[in-house]
Amino acid sequence: MDIAYQIPRQSLIWVLLSVVMALAPHGPRLPVWIGVVVAACLAWRVLIFYGKLDYPGKALRVVLVVFIILSSATQIRSLDIGLDVAASLLALGFIFKLVEMQSKRDIYVVLCLCFVMALVSLLYSQSMVTAMYLTLMVIVIMGSMVSLNRTAGSGRRTTSLGLAVRITAQSLPLMIVLFLVFPRIDPLWAVPTQSSATTGVSEEMSPGDISRLAQSADLAFRVGFNSGPPPLHENLYWRGLVLDYFDGITWRRQGSSVLSTAVANAPVQLDYRERTSVSGSALDYNVIMEPTQQRWLYGLHLATPLTAGIVQGRNFELINRSVINQRLSYNLRSFRNNQTDLLLLDSIRRRSLRLPEGGNPRSRELAMDLRSDVETDRDYAYAVLALFQQQFRYTLSPPLLGEQRVDDFLFNTRAGFCEHYASAFTYMMRAGGVPARVVVGYQGGEYNRFEDYLMVYQYNAHAWTEVWLAGEGWVRFDPTAIVSPERISQGVEAALRNDPNFMNESRFSLARFRGSGVLNTLRLRLDAMEYAWNRRIVSYGEERQLEIFERWFGQAARSGMLLMLGVSTLLAATLIGFAIIRKVPGKKMAESDRLYRECCQYLARRGYPRENGEGPMNYFHRITALHPELTPLLAEVTQNYILLSYQATPDAVEKSHLQALKRAVKELRSRVSAVPVRNSVPLPG
Amino acid sequence: MTMETTTPRPWITRRIEAWSARRNPAGAQAELNRRNILILPTAHGILFILATLVVFIAAINYGNSLAFGLAFFMVSLFIICMFHGFNNLHGLRLKALPTRPVFRGEDAAFQVLLSRHARRSHEGIELFFRGFTVSKASLVDHEEEQVSVFIRSTKRGEFKAPSLTVRGQFPSGLFTAWSIVRLEMRCLVYPEPVPVALHHVLNSGGGITEESPLVREGSEDFHGFRSFNPGDSLKQVAWKNVARGQGMLVKQFVDYLDQRLWLDWDMFYGFPDEDRLSRLCYCVLKLSSANTTYGLKLPGLEIAPETGKGHRLQVLQALARYRVPSAREADAGAGEQQP
Repeated sequence: MDIAYQIPRQSLIWVLLSVVMALAPHGPRLPVWIGVVVAACLAWRVLIFYGKLDYPGKALRVVLVVFIILSSATQIRSLDIGLDVAASLLALGFIFKLVEMQSKRDIYVVLCLCFVMALVSLLYSQSMVTAMYLTLMVIVIMGSMVSLNRTAGSGRRTTSLGLAVRITAQSLPLMIVLFLVFPRIDPLWAVPTQSSATTGVSEEMSPGDISRLAQSADLAFRVGFNSGPPPLHENLYWRGLVLDYFDGITWRRQGSSVLSTAVANAPVQLDYRERTSVSGSALDYNVIMEPTQQRWLYGLHLATPLTAGIVQGRNFELINRSVINQRLSYNLRSFRNNQTDLLLLDSIRRRSLRLPEGGNPRSRELAMDLRSDVETDRDYAYAVLALFQQQFRYTLSPPLLGEQRVDDFLFNTRAGFCEHYASAFTYMMRAGGVPARVVVGYQGGEYNRFEDYLMVYQYNAHAWTEVWLAGEGWVRFDPTAIVSPERISQGVEAALRNDPNFMNESRFSLARFRGSGVLNTLRLRLDAMEYAWNRRIVSYGEERQLEIFERWFGQAARSGMLLMLGVSTLLAATLIGFAIIRKVPGKKMAESDRLYRECCQYLARRGYPRENGEGPMNYFHRITALHPELTPLLAEVTQNYILLSYQATPDAVEKSHLQALKRAVKELRSRVSAVPVRNSVPLPG
Repeated sequence: MTMETTTPRPWITRRIEAWSARRNPAGAQAELNRRNILILPTAHGILFILATLVVFIAAINYGNSLAFGLAFFMVSLFIICMFHGFNNLHGLRLKALPTRPVFRGEDAAFQVLLSRHARRSHEGIELFFRGFTVSKASLVDHEEEQVSVFIRSTKRGEFKAPSLTVRGQFPSGLFTAWSIVRLEMRCLVYPEPVPVALHHVLNSGGGITEESPLVREGSEDFHGFRSFNPGDSLKQVAWKNVARGQGMLVKQFVDYLDQRLWLDWDMFYGFPDEDRLSRLCYCVLKLSSANTTYGLKLPGLEIAPETGKGHRLQVLQALARYRVPSAREADAGAGEQQP
């Protein structure tokens, strides 16, 4: 039967639209050749429809399957099946299925795959725009289903689109209920991690790395402060990674692998309390981070994670349980005043003093001179900072450095971005025998008044130095603040206002239009919406759920949640069911019928019910034979009733009959009480 | 697709039919409502559930909030589609209409009148007897629609329609809603005509017998009165007698016959009963199409020779009803519907 099945023209258009919509968000991510295959397959499908081409033969289908297997084999070679690869393969299989789609079942396979493709795009982006786009897509998929089940030629009261919109809209309340109350389950197994390019601050810092970030106006993260206003701009140092190993060019993490650091942390955690001391008021804040494909997080200095799944590294970095490949929301607590490592572990001291053998002789010499001039390490640090007050330029496009990088920078070029200053300063500290290390992260953030939060962009990326001072622990020094004070107090936008390279990767970003009033307001509004979306919906998870349910059910939150799930789902489903399945309108009982039935009920109460199938006249005769005193009244009722029921009369006449009937029934009601109640079963006949 | 189902029906189907029979009293009409509509996911619906499961498991494993949302969206869509699928049949009314007689072995076309309530619409409705062709209908613009539902007739006599399945997958195709309706519909099944050499049969004796009357009903000479039979011309009614209250009498005229054709039960002596009837049926068809005058003699029944459509009908009905196995057995045979 399926062989003869012809996909209706309307449906094919709907299905093709669903497929295009399902694939479109993946377009930029998929390799070009897949894009070509997709376009070819779509064209093929359209040509099949017009009868210009035939369905793929068996041989071709075998070739296609072999092709998919081969291409997946080449992709999986490297053993990490990233999401990208999985998405490409899914897209390929999906589009081939479209070509050979013949039966109704095939169409449903394709439509179900559209939902799976929607899922994949959610793994990449959970933004509000994605959500709205996917809702539109769901409507189109439903439209495909509706149009598939229409009979051609029958008149239609609603268009397929109208019905699809209605079904989708009716589904929303139930979905919201399920979303709110359905318990979130812990992952069942580890999922393949992403192998795509990382973004944001990286694990290494060579000159030019951070200035590259300054060209991007992409968002890094958003921060909302739960308690009070955000700190001043110059205190917004979002600490990311501590880089303590220098090879002459690049700063990187000691024992670079993040995994090994996490393992190495374990014993350190034990004496965590001994290594830190905090005072002053606590600052709680929530960070919603864009995916970076890396594992570390950003927070103010010495932040304690309040969200499960985050550990603190050796140098109090924050490290997530898994690679951050989707938006992540986490809560942190920092204190206004804090000290770390008042007693420096020997291992850390050794690490924080190490410099490559030889090189940069002028800097080393200068360091020795300066250190011998001053008493304390702090004074030494100030002396080195003072160097930067002379003739140094803050620029995104510094001249190239020679072999002896630090020497060249300090004595020749004297122009650079924050990584140059942080690198040179740290080098000088170490050369002077003071433990120091580079910290990379972000500095600053733009305040959004609409939702009361900070937006931190990639161009806020920054590098600075932490110096260990006896009795104080690690202290933050930022040489860039000396060179370009407005970078720290007002932000990079102000400092680089005239630099042509600033944000030049994001030429069309709204962030470039902060000068224009209307556009800037629009930009802030849009971002605020996105932020609210993230805080309220995307980061709605187990934590928030339990919080709400604990408020309602107290300690029994778990069982309460299940109860709530059952009750609310049933309730919502029932309500919607009632809304959809309207009651079949029964025949409205005519006024006269209602009155006559009332009259019969009065008599039945006295023991004279009307028999099944007994006509009104027969009933009248039976009753009046037994109770002649009711004759005039009952005659009036019966006569009027018969006239109203069986005779077409003008409206006015009908009205008078109805009035008479009403009056008679009313009177009968009082008169019938005089009739003695009969208990026995009514006599037959 | 007019194959009969021969495979034994699974237990669950029998239970569903029994359930449905309790809730669907047999009658000349039926209305579908929440008491008698059943709804289950189709194969497509199960595919959809699988896709939902995939999305849900991915949501769990990736801890992706919106993927959870998508999974719940799909669950909600599924439930809403169920309501819509149910709603599509809800309130549909069916009424049995008279059915034209058929010859045994032909498809009986039972006539069902579908109608709807003013503010409802029913799309993609399928009606069929289990194992037989599916007839489709949609009630959207028009208030009612007459649908022929076919079933192969297997036994001569009164054919009582088995229970009728009304089914619909509109709008999503994820669910199929159906109801098993027991409409009281009957169809008269004539014997299956089996060709015989007509002239041979009629000349072989028994066709014209010595005892046959010399006259046949005709238009030439007044012969007497007889009581009115349906199909008689009104021109021949003796209106004067009617006016006197003597009942409907027909003035009988006769033609004097040289030859009168009698189709006799004994003409096919030696054949089983059904085969005799089949052959007689063939003769009737042949003779009436040639506009010949003929009569029928069956054991215990005799129809005088006549001509015309009314006569033909009378004869065929007699053949159809002749010694029919009792009604109960006839039902059992028809379409093998009862367990």
